[in-house]
Amino acid sequence: MENLIKVENESLIRVVNLEKSFFDGDSELKVLRGVDLEVDKSEILAIMGASGAGKSTLLHLIGTLDRPTSGTIYYEDEDITTYSERELTQFRNTSVGFVFQFHQLLPEFNALENVVMGKLISNRKSGYTDGRQLTRNEMYDRAETLLGSVGLSERLTHFPSQLSGGERQRVAIARALMNEPKVILADEPTGNIDDITSEVVFDILLRVNEELNQTIIIVTHDSRLSDQTNRTVNLVEGKISY
Amino acid sequence: MKFEWFVASRYLLSQRKQSFISIISVISIVGVSLGVATVILVIAVLDGVEHGLRDRFLANEAHVAVSKIDRGFFNNYEDRIEAIKKVDGVVAASPVVYTQSAIFQKGSQSIQDVIYIKGIDPEVEDTVTGFSKFVEGSVDFQDQKIIDRASFINDESVTGGIVLGARLAKNLTLHQGDILRLVVKLEEDNHSPGAFLPRIRNFVVIGFYESELAVYDSRMAFIHVDTAQKIYQQEGNINVILVRLEDPELAPTIGDELIEVSSFNTIDMPITTTWLDTHAPLFAALELEKIATVIIEALIILVAAFNIASTLIMTVMEKTRDVGTLRTLGASRGNIMLIFMIQGCVIGMLGTLLGTALGLGVCKLLSTNVIRPSPLIAYALVVLLIIFQICVTLKFILSKTKLRNIVMLLFWILGIAFILYCLVQPISLKELGLSEIYQMNQLPIKINWFFVGFINLLSFSICWLATIYPAFQASNMRPIEALQYE
Ligand SMILES: Nc1ncnc2c1ncn2[C@@H]1O[C@H](COP(=O)(O)OP(=O)(O)OP(=O)(O)O)[C@@H](O)[C@H]1O
Ligand SMILES: [Mg+2]
Repeated sequence: MENLIKVENESLIRVVNLEKSFFDGDSELKVLRGVDLEVDKSEILAIMGASGAGKSTLLHLIGTLDRPTSGTIYYEDEDITTYSERELTQFRNTSVGFVFQFHQLLPEFNALENVVMGKLISNRKSGYTDGRQLTRNEMYDRAETLLGSVGLSERLTHFPSQLSGGERQRVAIARALMNEPKVILADEPTGNIDDITSEVVFDILLRVNEELNQTIIIVTHDSRLSDQTNRTVNLVEGKISY
Repeated sequence: MKFEWFVASRYLLSQRKQSFISIISVISIVGVSLGVATVILVIAVLDGVEHGLRDRFLANEAHVAVSKIDRGFFNNYEDRIEAIKKVDGVVAASPVVYTQSAIFQKGSQSIQDVIYIKGIDPEVEDTVTGFSKFVEGSVDFQDQKIIDRASFINDESVTGGIVLGARLAKNLTLHQGDILRLVVKLEEDNHSPGAFLPRIRNFVVIGFYESELAVYDSRMAFIHVDTAQKIYQQEGNINVILVRLEDPELAPTIGDELIEVSSFNTIDMPITTTWLDTHAPLFAALELEKIATVIIEALIILVAAFNIASTLIMTVMEKTRDVGTLRTLGASRGNIMLIFMIQGCVIGMLGTLLGTALGLGVCKLLSTNVIRPSPLIAYALVVLLIIFQICVTLKFILSKTKLRNIVMLLFWILGIAFILYCLVQPISLKELGLSEIYQMNQLPIKINWFFVGFINLLSFSICWLATIYPAFQASNMRPIEALQYE
């Protein structure tokens, strides 16, 4: 895992006047009402806000899981809202890592296989990983290293059902790192586990940011975490308030 | 494909919470194999019957028969036969006096049967129909010793020897040396019915003809052509010329040529009847039987394909969150679609291959005479299995889906169609007279490998089609909704 040279204030993601409404028949629910947000490279950013404020919605839009009603999202000055379905799929694979509140590991696959999955999907599509294709062994080696770095080197062949909540989240973090994404999006990664375990998961996320210069956006209610991030923004009434 | 196989195979092999999914997978596999196995078996039997019959027809019968349009007698028959023999593709030709006659036995007061009498020259006839190969006993119609002896024992005049169809002889309980009476009805009797005088001729039974074709074995008798000419007062004339060809399939075309060469003047008007004409209805019926079988078995496979579709719909529902996760990891809709199609196709493939193995295995057993099934038991078994399958399908899968009514209707139609088929199949076989004509001590089996390949392809295609809808549904789920699915 090579170290990038950290360039101060270089913008990775720029969200401009982002709006998202949900329609239920004739009624319109405006969740995001013009979000402007800039995320720098190698930054760890916390997003806070009341329940139902639209934090998850915003994260999904940034992660290309959904399309905005209006507004633009730039990744390194590339407007991804104009991407086709196919381009978005590829983009998700190579550039975004997700960690959700509920671990979302595949129950039929062990820890190692869960981590390697993203690479299995992408590696076969030549030309849109960073040029080089990993061999099968290299993939599994990398997954093993990643699981080691989140402290799970003893748990490689365990299935999700054999792991604790905190361990599952650590596997999820390793999985998010697998494809060296531009950004990791974490939606309340500790929302479902106890305080002590949460500390461990927080530490790992902070360390990943520190050591790998990995850009991370993290949605959380936990002020212990937001205190340690570079920056914290609040989502209030569908807008960012600084 | 690697990634999709990786995921699909794991899903197929995992035996998690909803273990009934794998029960239904097994039922789908059984269903597909059942359909494939029965179609292979039934077609092999039908092919075997057809082939066996063709062989027997070709061995027993002339390929072309030349006669007058009014069934009258030919004069100059030697010249005509010479002309026919010169035609390309003709191997041999024989003169025959072909008539019908009522018969009764010594001591019987009334006519017992009406049979066909073929007046032949045994040596020439052998070159055309291989006559003496099928005769047990003597073929020497003019053997004076036998005739004299019979005449002496019975104290009656005896015209000549007769070879009887084996079954006919059995029905009449006639043995070698017994006397059979023929009622000879002459052409001129038709014109003056008042003057009808039954001419009765006595023949001594010298042999038995057994071809394993009921038409001949139970309704035919052979006498010498000279004797026939004498008793029918047609000296020097015959009414049928039988012809053997090098290639029996060419009968229709060579037949036309035979008409030309055997027509010596304008009032002759000869016609030909080929072996294909004679048995056209039988071959057509067999063909129909085969088509019906394929359609019915395709329906059976279709039922199994419904199971595959249902299995997949269940799997898709169970794996919705997984689908969401895979989409966040960057799996495309195509990837997702393939994952589920592979699962269905593997089930279809397994069922098809198992069915092929089963079908061929039973064919093998039948042809080596290890088992002798009664058709009734076989059909009952198939019906039971199908009903079982339908019940299980309905009970486990269709309790709450919207499709239920349509599918129920389809199942009923299929069920009724199948029962009808089971009722009609044995009847039509009986109507064909196969069991009568064909005295089998083992089922004739002929495996057509081309057809086995075709049925494999058909079965697999049906299974593949069944995967499309569920797989499409899975691929069509929006990632966020899939992620949030409970
Ligand atoms: N697919 C959807 N259809 C309709 N409404 C939706 C949909 N997704 C989210 N919403 C609504 O949008 C609003 C914002 O939801 P969102 O999940 O983004 O909130 P959140 O800030 O993440 O809340 P929490 O802290 O509870 O996770 C909520 O009122 C929710 O009901
Ligand atoms: Mg949320």
